[in-house]
Amino acid sequence: MELLTLTVLVGTFVVTALYFKLPIGVSLAISSVLGALVAGAGFPVRHLVEGSFAYFDPILIIATAMIFMEVIKESGLLGTISRLLIEKFYNLPLLFLILVTLFIMFPGMITGLSSASVLTTGAIVSPALIMLGIPRVKVGALIAMAAIYGMIAPPINVPVMIIGGGVDMPYIGFELPLLFATIPLAFFSSIYFGYKYLKNIDIEKIRDKLPESHYEQYGIRLYIPLFLIIILMLGIRIFPNYFPALGTPLIFVIGIITGMFSGKKINIIRMTKNAMKDALPVMGILVGIGMFIQIMTLVGVRGFLVVNCLKLPSVLLYIGIAVSMPIFGAISAYGSSSVLGIPFLLALLGSDEIIVGAALSLIASLGDLMPPTALAGIFAAQVVKIKNYFSILKICLFIALITAIYGILMIIFANPLGKIL
Amino acid sequence: MSKDQIFRNCLFIVLTIIICIYSFAKFGEMEEEYPIYPGENVEIVRLSNYFDGIKGTNADTDVYIYGGQEDGGSALILGGTHPNEPAGFITAVLLIERLKVNKGRVIIIPRANNSGFTCTDPQEGVPQEFRIETSDGIRKFRHGSRFMNILDQWPDPEVYLHYPSGQKLSGNERRNLNRSYPGKPDGVLTEKLAHAIVQLINTERIDISIDLHEASLEYPVIDAIVAHERSMDVAAMAQIDLQILGIDYNLEPSPVNFRGFSHREWGDYTETMPFLIESANPIQGRMRGETTEELLLKGYDKYYAEASELGLLYTPYPAEGIPLEVRTGRHLEAIKILISTFSLLNPEKEIGFSDLPSYSEIIENKLGYYLKTGR
Repeated sequence: MELLTLTVLVGTFVVTALYFKLPIGVSLAISSVLGALVAGAGFPVRHLVEGSFAYFDPILIIATAMIFMEVIKESGLLGTISRLLIEKFYNLPLLFLILVTLFIMFPGMITGLSSASVLTTGAIVSPALIMLGIPRVKVGALIAMAAIYGMIAPPINVPVMIIGGGVDMPYIGFELPLLFATIPLAFFSSIYFGYKYLKNIDIEKIRDKLPESHYEQYGIRLYIPLFLIIILMLGIRIFPNYFPALGTPLIFVIGIITGMFSGKKINIIRMTKNAMKDALPVMGILVGIGMFIQIMTLVGVRGFLVVNCLKLPSVLLYIGIAVSMPIFGAISAYGSSSVLGIPFLLALLGSDEIIVGAALSLIASLGDLMPPTALAGIFAAQVVKIKNYFSILKICLFIALITAIYGILMIIFANPLGKIL
Repeated sequence: MSKDQIFRNCLFIVLTIIICIYSFAKFGEMEEEYPIYPGENVEIVRLSNYFDGIKGTNADTDVYIYGGQEDGGSALILGGTHPNEPAGFITAVLLIERLKVNKGRVIIIPRANNSGFTCTDPQEGVPQEFRIETSDGIRKFRHGSRFMNILDQWPDPEVYLHYPSGQKLSGNERRNLNRSYPGKPDGVLTEKLAHAIVQLINTERIDISIDLHEASLEYPVIDAIVAHERSMDVAAMAQIDLQILGIDYNLEPSPVNFRGFSHREWGDYTETMPFLIESANPIQGRMRGETTEELLLKGYDKYYAEASELGLLYTPYPAEGIPLEVRTGRHLEAIKILISTFSLLNPEKEIGFSDLPSYSEIIENKLGYYLKTGR
């Protein structure tokens, strides 16, 4: 029965999204309704509504982050930083890429959200990278991958916390394993996507095309929204007893309000409309995904998938992890960590649990590249102004594969790694 | 705008309004608290009597105090810390409706996380209530969320820093009562609730405290008594006594490096002897199939049966499942034996009680037989 329901859920989604070209969020809602009907759960309005609220907080973060991005673009901050980066580092390509990678990763490292990285620091560096000659699609891929590694890198890795919470494993001792899991891959990925374009830059050729710097006009005031965001996000981590936990959406709202008065004049109504227009499809997907998972759980498809993944023979278990966790992560990397990460960690007891937990979170994070949600890919496409985010996902495949293999190797060699890290 | 577009927009708005009205009513139902019918010689007070920081909030809850004729020790029993773990809640209800105390005092909080009884967790698809047949009709009980209702404490941070240890947990755990002890009087509502319970333990000089829980079958701490160092002797003796009755419990020491749990912080921040009891509940697990009221009550699930055959579970999974009767019976027997053992080892603080059914009686007669009908 669950197999039939799963077929209906997936089949309806594919037909409505690809054949009827309905928005992905709407397709997910329709397939959830049909799946429930086929499974004999009727038309479960309560479950559809409850599921749709599962991603309420991420939706607020996306909405406010998108407006923030528009505001700093319009205020002149984005262009000013791009020009500064290019003028200072154009002749040091390797150092430039490493610094850019760490810069993109930073918001993800302190919030545990890849979209926070893409929409803030990713948006800030993207014009500079494009100006320097890296193709837009590769800039998008570089940003998406760095953001994903940022989400997994310490100090904050929410997927590990979710997995650890499920097995009573405190979030202690993960710093080195998580750095080991992310930093080499992040540098490799950025060099892979960007280095060859940065080797021979003739700054004079592009100087006229560089965005205007507004620093002379507005001074340090221009940077206030960015500084505020960084201070508020870091403050709660470093001085939790003195900083109120404002929540990421409110932090972005504070950034938006200060951004309105920090540089060029801004029409906030128009900015908000533009941002919402860009964000609405993604927010719709999250609503649809919430319904989809709730119905999957209600009718037993979730259990069917989990048990079938776990009953793979031990040799295939690693392949099962590498395939199922990113696929389930298409719904959400956090969801994948909770639904599959915990059982997989339990199935691998005996190996160093901290290394295995870190590796599982790394593999689950690839879910942020998996359609239909593909949050990192979709937002990276918006940041670099590419309509079809699949082009970014396509060139990320190789790095994603390397990441999955790296994660699996960490699991296989968890015990020796645990002694070193 | 064309007529067609206007029609579609109007239709969308009307549909949205209908769904909103229906949802408002459906989720609003969760605010209704189904009654508990206490036995004799009980004093009912509010938890806010011990810490007024929760007064007037959804965290405030009833505390049932049973006192005996003779002086003795005092016990605290907590149900409903996680309202999605029905055996803990039902055991507390059964105690309130059946218990007679003749020596010392027994204090019961059936809805420790009262706020969590007003909602369910998104994406879990669990029922909002369950029904038990009594000798005189059906009684309804709430099934809720592991966490405090997000409407009572929002937003969640990305990372929850436990007070006072600074331990990091994922953000939604800030709404988890059993990660919030010893609590914080000026903290968020869950921390205030935890503080109120710790205040109760200190004010009432509780000698032995038992927090009732359930867990999924793939969770390693299952069918277990978790004991603080101070409680270990009593727990070890009780484990043997339970084994003699044919009820197997694992004995788990409370980890010192994982903070916020009742079994850890009650022991470290009060004089009480804390225990946490876990039973095995398939509707909580990630491997479960169809999520229904029947699964909650009967505890049979084909995927758990398969997982058991594959050796993926940490507890035996019988062919007939693990019904609510079994889980409640285990809890009740463990409570009785823990308190008796404590009394044996601390005769000056003896707690005497009667009128509680045995494990085998509950299995034989079913739960409804021991619950009051309210008529």
